[in-house]
Amino acid sequence: MMLKTLTLAAALLAGTAGAALAQDPQPGGTLNFVAPYGSSFGTLDIHTSPSTQDEFPAKAIHRSLYQWNSEEGKPEPELATEVTASDDRLTYTYKLRENAVFHDGTPFTADDVIYSYERIAEPANAYPGARYFADVAGIDEFNSGSAEHISGLRKIDDHTLEITYTVAPTDPGYALMQTNSAIYPSGAGEDPGFIQNPIGLGPFKFVENVPGSRVVVEKFDDFYEDGKPYLDRINVVLLGDASARDVAFRNQEIDVSVLGPTQYVAYQADPELSQNLLEVAEVYTRHVGFDNTKPPFDNKDVRQAFGHAINNELILDKLVKNKAYPATGWLPISSPAYDEAAEPTTYDPELAKQMLADAGYPDGIDVAITATQNESWGLTIVEAIIPMLRDAGIRATAVPVEASVLAEIVPAGDFEAFMWSNLSGPDDYEVMKCYYSKTPRSSCAYQQFSDPEFDALFEQAGAEMDPEKKTDLLRQANNVVQEGAPSWFFNYNKAVMAYQPWVHGLQANATELAIQNYEDLWIDETAPDSRR
Amino acid sequence: MLRFTIRRLLQVIPTLFAVALLIFVIFSVVPGSFASSLMADGRTAADPEMMARLNEQFGLDKPLYVRFADYITGLARFDLGTSFRTREPVLDVINARIWASLELAIAAMVFAIVVGVPLGFIAALRPGSLLDSVTMIGAVSGLSLPQFWLGLLLMYFFALVLGWLPSFGYGGGSWRYLILPAITLGVTPLALLARTTRAGVLEIANEDFIRTARSKGMSEARVVRWHLVRNVMVLVVTTIGLQFGSMMGQAVVIEKLFSWPGIGSLLVDSVSIRDTPVVQGTILVIVVWFLLINTFVDIIYAAIDPRIKQT
Amino acid sequence: MKRFNLNLWLGGALVALVVVGAVFAPLLTSLDPVFDANLMYAEEPPDAQFWFGTDEQGRDVYTRVLYGARISLTVGIVSQIINSVIGLSLGISAAYWGGWWDDLVNGLTNTMLAIPSLIFALAIMAILGPGLPSLLIALGLTNWSWTCRIARSSTLSLKGLGYVQAARTLGYGDIRIMATQLLPNMIGPILVISTLGIGAAVLAEAALSFLGLGIRPPFPSWGSMLTGARELIVIAPWAAVFPGLAIFVTVLGFNLLGDGLRDLLDPHMRSRTA
Repeated sequence: MMLKTLTLAAALLAGTAGAALAQDPQPGGTLNFVAPYGSSFGTLDIHTSPSTQDEFPAKAIHRSLYQWNSEEGKPEPELATEVTASDDRLTYTYKLRENAVFHDGTPFTADDVIYSYERIAEPANAYPGARYFADVAGIDEFNSGSAEHISGLRKIDDHTLEITYTVAPTDPGYALMQTNSAIYPSGAGEDPGFIQNPIGLGPFKFVENVPGSRVVVEKFDDFYEDGKPYLDRINVVLLGDASARDVAFRNQEIDVSVLGPTQYVAYQADPELSQNLLEVAEVYTRHVGFDNTKPPFDNKDVRQAFGHAINNELILDKLVKNKAYPATGWLPISSPAYDEAAEPTTYDPELAKQMLADAGYPDGIDVAITATQNESWGLTIVEAIIPMLRDAGIRATAVPVEASVLAEIVPAGDFEAFMWSNLSGPDDYEVMKCYYSKTPRSSCAYQQFSDPEFDALFEQAGAEMDPEKKTDLLRQANNVVQEGAPSWFFNYNKAVMAYQPWVHGLQANATELAIQNYEDLWIDETAPDSRR
Repeated sequence: MLRFTIRRLLQVIPTLFAVALLIFVIFSVVPGSFASSLMADGRTAADPEMMARLNEQFGLDKPLYVRFADYITGLARFDLGTSFRTREPVLDVINARIWASLELAIAAMVFAIVVGVPLGFIAALRPGSLLDSVTMIGAVSGLSLPQFWLGLLLMYFFALVLGWLPSFGYGGGSWRYLILPAITLGVTPLALLARTTRAGVLEIANEDFIRTARSKGMSEARVVRWHLVRNVMVLVVTTIGLQFGSMMGQAVVIEKLFSWPGIGSLLVDSVSIRDTPVVQGTILVIVVWFLLINTFVDIIYAAIDPRIKQT
Repeated sequence: MKRFNLNLWLGGALVALVVVGAVFAPLLTSLDPVFDANLMYAEEPPDAQFWFGTDEQGRDVYTRVLYGARISLTVGIVSQIINSVIGLSLGISAAYWGGWWDDLVNGLTNTMLAIPSLIFALAIMAILGPGLPSLLIALGLTNWSWTCRIARSSTLSLKGLGYVQAARTLGYGDIRIMATQLLPNMIGPILVISTLGIGAAVLAEAALSFLGLGIRPPFPSWGSMLTGARELIVIAPWAAVFPGLAIFVTVLGFNLLGDGLRDLLDPHMRSRTA
């Protein structure tokens, strides 16, 4: 099953960054890397932040125990040279890198890992990564304050660490590769100066932070990978506005840009810009979720009719500009459990009308769709489906809200339907939890889907030790979700990054394309003088 | 004069208190929370436990009146609280951003004065002439453009088409980055200054004391120098003051468009993630700025024209 | 010497153009601004069929600009009516009754003047959520301070005058005196302020849309059209040019009209509110 992901990633690499492989990486130079996700950097203390925006500088400065391997589509140990799991997969033993040092020269040891993880898990801190340790042995005692340390995190010697879980994780790497589970030097978080001048194990040293504008990092000479990083310096610049980003990229002020659908078309049409686009199927599913507990959407036929009323193909082509892959179920294309045989819902307004009538709504239904202002998964799409739905007797209205409000009312169940883009990978089992009837709405089961067949398959998958069989069960479960239509599944995001012709080494990161391993990036001699 | 100054400064305090109360009330009823904003990008699934912990840490679980009391007692000690997002004191967060805002405001004002005042004088020389009409309709046009549209046009033209200037950002403080946002922000005060200058020159030129001065046999040049210029300057300084005072508020859209790291963009970002202490602090700073400049203008005014003090 | 009032006529003509477009929109176009979206015709350049081209959803920009005039005029006029009602009633009553009420209104006015109106509107939009009704309330609540000040100062100068005193001795109630004796005397300046305020409200709508808190789709407000079309500027510039022009023409019209009215009604006001 890994094969599929591999081919996909390989195909994307060959198609886009392929030319780069012909040359050997060259050291030196400056890169202007853009952080495109709106607001300013919140903090340099990445433990405190779940925000993608804050990851841009943090990814340069810090390292986590695991790292996402874009080519193979799975997490792999980064700060450990060897990992052994016990037979029950409850205990993992890590041989830590002996050649890794922090930017101040302090060598990296197991103490740093334990310190960092306990800092993240500390309930009083209320850090977003606390959930990564929810199944580690001894977490309850730690949370209640009866134990000073988490007993499941054990130092065997300076470079050997043991983590014991109470519930076997699919792969601890999914949580421990996150940038906000980065390893800090022991005790650093309590030093107020550290937050202003962070040090880490990453390939680049922190130089300067101009709040609201940019973070500058510089090559760390003692980075543990030989010969890396290639670049001397990276300016991580904030540029949230898409049209301003477009100008800046064309003006060669920035070296990479993340494209929306409109610009994707424009860049594709340009003979030069189109040469340097990196595309990847990201692990986000865009959908219109229904409240499955209330009429009319407690009726599966009504939910299915909604999908039949929409000409998804046309929207994807004309509005999303093919910057997406049509969705079948919840799991995205890059997932090993994605079913290639699955077909998207057919466009058939007459059938939709008929299904509504059969379900007891001959006069059609009214629905308010709560959505934010987003061109790919918000009001722009809702605007486009309103006329289509109307033709099938579904009178839809848009309820515009801000993003933070959407994130408040959806988990609270305060909606008839909502449009959102939600993470649907890379940990298949974890993301399927959102359709398990025992998951509370406030966690991620927003639609409150309830299907005994799904529950049975999901429970089996949870108990299954064999990865292949587990994937197979999840695939079946995903098909049940598609059939049950808790949401109208719209598309899976195709992330597109434009880069200047002199930039090489970009990775097709399916978890978030814009987050790159900076140490692999390099620029060639065609770069303008300002980058040399 | 000193007593007048002190009295005017003291009058600022109740207004400030009212503003503090008003924004506290507004942002205590705003839907959405910092905790919910953390999962707004759909990347993080909802985690009720973490949200509860966050709300507890930030004291959002306390009753409203307790929070207001904490807030006001904090203010009295010049403590604006702690940012939810950065977990640093709000004053530090604002301090890191306010200098860029000042830089932008001053540059915009200089641009407006250097272009606007002479333009107003020129227009007033021949009231009703074609030049006058064109200048004044030009000024009204300047007041009628959507700011971000103008900024975008400038950005395209000067950065992309001509390649003269960088299109966005702060660039470590280089003046080249300052030009486009400053011009965009300066257009409104420029137009207002041109109009005020023109109106002031025209009005005062007709006033009695100028005629009196003339009839007393003062030379034309001295009439202009001593009366006209001085009195027009009072008007112009007032306009400059008022515009300068409200500039921090007007810069919000421009800072956002040009990714300028001032407190305007800080405010908008903080509103969208519901970082309430920073929102309150930023608005207070903007209001204090406005009130101080206005008070300062009043004092100057009073120094020039002692009759003001009575009112 | 009576000079030709260029501002009044030019402004009036521009405003008339916008009003005609808004009122007769259904006659001037056969399409619907929301439902006539045909993605097959997305981003068509201006031609005989689509005079202003089409936007990314395949809607006719000309139709949306026409219907957008309705929204912009509604935003401008309704918010100015709310502003005037608040400003006038507070201003007149404060000056007429004086005392603690006057102090309170003064304090409130100073507070409102101190908070930049865009920021105040932003805060109110955050509470009410984006949309037309919220926008009307937000803009209606933010810009009444100048009206209030003018109403207060004219009342102060009027209330000692003979005919107001006479009305009182005739036994007229306070409200009646305010409405019939005081209010009519300040219509001129208030009309000027409101006309200028309409232009300001149209601009504020565009700014709030840019900040993500304006009127939301699918209704064609110029601000949201402009905000949505910014990214199309390279491939479909017409989708951004025409709503931008519409805003400019409308605001220019109201600003010129306001200036013209001021020249007409009270030439001496010029310098004070320039």
